Amino acid sequence: MYQPEPTAYLQVSAGYGIAHGLPEFTFEETPLGLNGGGGVGGGGGSNGGYGGGLGTAGASLGGIGGIGGAGSLIYTSPIFSASSSAVGPASGPFQFHHNTSNTTSSNASAASSPHHQRSPHSVKMEPSLSNDLAAEEAAAREYQPRLEGPLVGKRTSSTVITEEYAKADPIYVQKTIVLPQTYSHYRPIQGDGNCGWRAIGFGYFETLVNGGSKAQVDSEKQRLESLNSYIENVGGLSPFVFQDMAEETIELLQRISNTIGDRAQAMAELEGSFNNPDIANSILYHLRLLASSWLKGNPDNFSAFITSDIGVSGYSTDVIERPNVEIDNLGLVLLVNVLLKPIGFVLEVAYLDRSIGSQVNTYRFPEEANGQHPSTLGPIIHLLYRPDHYDILYPAEVNLTPPPQPQVTMQQEVNLQVHRASFSHNYEIGNTPIALHSFAAADMHPNPLALIPGFDTPPPSLNPIITLATGSPITSYSPSPASPWMPTPFAETAQQESPTSLPIRPQAPAQQNHPLRFSEYCQLPEYVGNDTWRGEPVFQTSTFKNSHFNVAHYNNPNFQPEEYRPEADDYHDPPPRAGSKKRGSV
Amino acid sequence: MEDNQNSAPGNVPATKLGGARKGIEPGLNASKRLQTELMQLMTSPAPGVSAFPSADGNLLAWRATIEGPDDTPYAGLTFKLSFEFPSNYPYAPPTVLFRTPIYHPNVDFSGRICLDILKDKWTAAYNIQTVLLSLQSLLGEPNNASPLNGEAAELWDKDPALFKTKVMDRHKDIEEDE
Repeated sequence: MYQPEPTAYLQVSAGYGIAHGLPEFTFEETPLGLNGGGGVGGGGGSNGGYGGGLGTAGASLGGIGGIGGAGSLIYTSPIFSASSSAVGPASGPFQFHHNTSNTTSSNASAASSPHHQRSPHSVKMEPSLSNDLAAEEAAAREYQPRLEGPLVGKRTSSTVITEEYAKADPIYVQKTIVLPQTYSHYRPIQGDGNCGWRAIGFGYFETLVNGGSKAQVDSEKQRLESLNSYIENVGGLSPFVFQDMAEETIELLQRISNTIGDRAQAMAELEGSFNNPDIANSILYHLRLLASSWLKGNPDNFSAFITSDIGVSGYSTDVIERPNVEIDNLGLVLLVNVLLKPIGFVLEVAYLDRSIGSQVNTYRFPEEANGQHPSTLGPIIHLLYRPDHYDILYPAEVNLTPPPQPQVTMQQEVNLQVHRASFSHNYEIGNTPIALHSFAAADMHPNPLALIPGFDTPPPSLNPIITLATGSPITSYSPSPASPWMPTPFAETAQQESPTSLPIRPQAPAQQNHPLRFSEYCQLPEYVGNDTWRGEPVFQTSTFKNSHFNVAHYNNPNFQPEEYRPEADDYHDPPPRAGSKKRGSV
Repeated sequence: MEDNQNSAPGNVPATKLGGARKGIEPGLNASKRLQTELMQLMTSPAPGVSAFPSADGNLLAWRATIEGPDDTPYAGLTFKLSFEFPSNYPYAPPTVLFRTPIYHPNVDFSGRICLDILKDKWTAAYNIQTVLLSLQSLLGEPNNASPLNGEAAELWDKDPALFKTKVMDRHKDIEEDE
């Protein structure tokens, strides 16, 4: 087997440079083409083999092995398939045809010499291009993302989240280490575009199950039944559109009511229903319709939050009522207002993102629930928000009892301030009397409960929230870092523990033998799991050694391309550090 | 089995779903909804459109007709369409095709239709009747900005007479075939 000399590569790189210099490369009719034809194939006989290699479109290494000419070895290398179109002038148009129009038989055209006289490729490409578009369109129509796991998963220890982020950005690592201290468990929700709706819906039913009150479930059933006329009259939907959906919600409430005495059975009923696509789709869409009706019923309160110019009805149809379109903040507020607030449930979202801080930021809906001690609030549904995804969280039991007076370090105080800053949108409203006034009036004044037919008196648990919030809205948010719902006491201990409690954090590589260092946070799991690749500089084939033409290095994160070193022509595979030192000393 | 369960919320045809959901007939909700729609279509029909489940008793496949609106190149013509409903209808749009060949900027030669409410703008609040009425108005007001048939989109403004001729030519072809 012919072994290419370093000069061969040099030749190629020169051609590569030319190719870049001449983007409008058309050599078909020039005599250069003939030259190239000879040079590339290393003779007419190898022309066929060359074509054969090309025929395997994106020629595999195996294909290369069967070809005799050194030149074609290089040119058919997939790394250079683009540049080689200009390397040998003859091979330029030749290969271009093959790469762009998949329809021609490469062997036949390779054997026939007059392939230079082909019509311009742009013309040839058109039919195949439109075919490709049609095929792509069809594929896009049929495309279904592969979704893992059940629609609503099992309650799982939240250390799983910690492990999931162990290799991520340090901010995530920090926050997810602390997370299990506050929230012992979580429930994964499928990310199919409905997760926010699904998580809140599930949380709502689960909170009813946990409440264990048949009377409460039955009154909710009545309330949601009576909301049907709200959807029809305010939402403007004809009953036959939504009655099937509402029925599923009502029936699930009925099944929960029937089994409320046995929590395990009720939960099984709930989980089963939410994992049944027929039932779950209906319930979730019912929730969407409730939210969009609430928006249409209170346009003055919410239209300012619709950023685009689609208006209230446009937002309803384009965002809220579109299946598999994720809930956004406005949808969340709407759903809380129509579903949770009337029975005094509170939604608390923990935001896991890269904002500065040592733990997740939390924010409660409805707004006035923020800054209050959990014991003054109704049941809280906890969600974990990661950008574009919601899961359900379950707080550790300790968190429910009032925490002792926290000893907060300066550091954490700063962090808390930062938390607030990141939510400035909401807090600004709270801190500005005028803005707050309108907002509070908007949110509170047309008492949402009164708007709901058949629901005259608010449940007692809601009353304190309302009075507090409207009476003294500014003081109702306590800016003190000692605000009792902030689980600060845990942060300190967790921070101290952090080095030991990180389970999968990879050890720093023992030896780094080249200046390019991979972050230990960006390594693929298969490499982190076993250290076998470290310090293994092989990934070479006998033909290519460690040339950058050698595709074997695709598998080698430590790949170090060969450098041209005039002072050491026979110097193979040097440790680069040594090389640079040597050069420095010269 | 867990995985199968999760593929269901997507746009999976009923036949592919078979057995994915234990003990639940696929498309149960869709059938229920379609029965309701059939009832509504029969009790309050809209002028110029009609739809009915196909003869084989499969409620997930329908045949529909649209009469070309007056004052359009399609006046006096009748177009047959096919509806195929996914098992998670109405949470996913039906696949609607013109079975009668039609020369129209937003319909290609296979009868496929470019209409936003049949794609990403679909909501469960739409139904067969609203889709048919939307298609009927699409006949008179094509969306020439995103044509499937570029020539038709051009002729619509440039040469209405030629457009009308092409409509009639293409339409005839179809009726002979049937």
